[in-house]
Amino acid sequence: MTETRISHIFTRHLPLALIALLMAFPFYWMVTSGLKTNDEIWQFPPTFWPESPQWGNFLEAWEAAPFWRYMANSIGVASAIAIIQVINSAMMAYALTHMKFRLKGLLTALILLGYMVPNTAAYLPSYIVLSKLHLLDTYAGMILSNCVSVFSIFLIRQAFLQVSHELVEAGHIDGASHGRILGSILVPLTRSSFAVLVLITFIEQYNNYFWPMLITKSPDLQLVSAGLRSFFVEGGAYGLKWPLIMAASSFTIMPLLLLFLLTQRTIMQSVNLSAGVNKG
Amino acid sequence: MIPLTMFWLIPLGYAFYLSFTEWDFMSPDKLFVGMANYAELADNPAFYKALRVTLLFTAGSVLPTLIGGLGFALLLNSKLRFSGIYRTLIFSPWVTPTVAVAIVWSWIFEPEVGLANNVLRFFGSEGAGWLGDPSWALIGILIVTCWKSVGWAMVFYLVALRNVPRDLLEAAAIDGAGSLRRFTYITVPLISPTTFFLTIVLIIQSLQAYDQINVMTQGGPSGSTRTLLYMYYQSAFEAFNIGEASSVAVVLVIGCVLLSMASFAVSRRNVHYH
Repeated sequence: MTETRISHIFTRHLPLALIALLMAFPFYWMVTSGLKTNDEIWQFPPTFWPESPQWGNFLEAWEAAPFWRYMANSIGVASAIAIIQVINSAMMAYALTHMKFRLKGLLTALILLGYMVPNTAAYLPSYIVLSKLHLLDTYAGMILSNCVSVFSIFLIRQAFLQVSHELVEAGHIDGASHGRILGSILVPLTRSSFAVLVLITFIEQYNNYFWPMLITKSPDLQLVSAGLRSFFVEGGAYGLKWPLIMAASSFTIMPLLLLFLLTQRTIMQSVNLSAGVNKG
Repeated sequence: MIPLTMFWLIPLGYAFYLSFTEWDFMSPDKLFVGMANYAELADNPAFYKALRVTLLFTAGSVLPTLIGGLGFALLLNSKLRFSGIYRTLIFSPWVTPTVAVAIVWSWIFEPEVGLANNVLRFFGSEGAGWLGDPSWALIGILIVTCWKSVGWAMVFYLVALRNVPRDLLEAAAIDGAGSLRRFTYITVPLISPTTFFLTIVLIIQSLQAYDQINVMTQGGPSGSTRTLLYMYYQSAFEAFNIGEASSVAVVLVIGCVLLSMASFAVSRRNVHYH
């Protein structure tokens, strides 16, 4: 072992391992608390591994509330939104980067501004718009109201800006339509941005809580976050059935942790892409 | 374009209009009251408290996230075994639903047997009341917020550090600059665009924080964690005071634009693009 490697163990690996453990510890605590009995979870001092793991807790929690329904809602709504956002952002970004029309500068400025303004400000009026359209408490309302995101347009715009204008011009001269240029030149060239966008949007929407909770009333439509939260508050579970709550939390985050482990390269890439944003 | 107009541009303008009216959602007519909502806000002590909590929350979440993110990135920024594993573990909180992890954290902050107090007692402290205690609740929420976002900031800094030219650092080392001097005079200026970008995005995120507050404290105890956004939510969807809610939203937007402009002003002098 060289000297630098030994010093690395103390100056890098040791602090990093500690930090990583600390960061991951709540997850460990969640899963192991889900395996404890109610008595053991209130025991002092706490046990770091349950004395006899109660695997049945997971099944019991799964059956205590319609979690399969919540998760299916989340996955379905999030997928639909991700697909629509991709199409939408691609078209918007195409118009902003490779088409010439009046007010283009103004539109770009508006979108840049939108990136800075908290979208919460639009919640109330959006709510009223949805209620006028009679789309409150429907899947359609949830999907429609989320189908555009300033961030997505931004991300794809950044990617399209990198594609040389000549390539697009060449397409025009060959007589290709806007749709064809978009579909067969731009999108294939910026595949990775689209992959990133789909993943990020899916994760965001799966986790979404505030807005879906506002616009849906019926329990059948609840997404996973809202479902988990009502399980936490209602059903006498508040502070009484901690093991079940922990078990339920564990399985609601599992799909995302799995997705993240499988696609982390792509997700981390989003940083490379959006870090380019500020370089304009 | 249509959805953008329908759910973004029109609502924003409409929110502005609503802030000049008095309305309870139900009645058919909106009463135009001019600046009355703003005048009421200016007289409302709860508003100032929420403003204060919002500023505390913003500072308390943005600064530690930036510093922690940069610190972790510096530790990871060399050819290191297992760095992929470290990075994954540190980043993973960002991926998970805030509601789920906030529930876990409210168990950790449980005053009697929660992990946080057990650890504190191990070090000889009495522990704290955490989420039930007005002077601790905000700190509890800030811990969760920073825990969730620090890995995300770290990944941005990793990319930025990788783009710092090695030969520049080596040249400075030959000229006799110590590692601290190299860091402050070369690395910090070169990664300043990332710091700038993260600052703005984190400020916006902290102004929009809702999920963890809703799960952990609902703005309490005694308003100690009620941010402007939470006040907005409560007056709009619990008290149905649309006018007041909209004026809070407008204040929020103006504050956000002001903060962004301030960051731009600071950045003009301090951000270096290469």
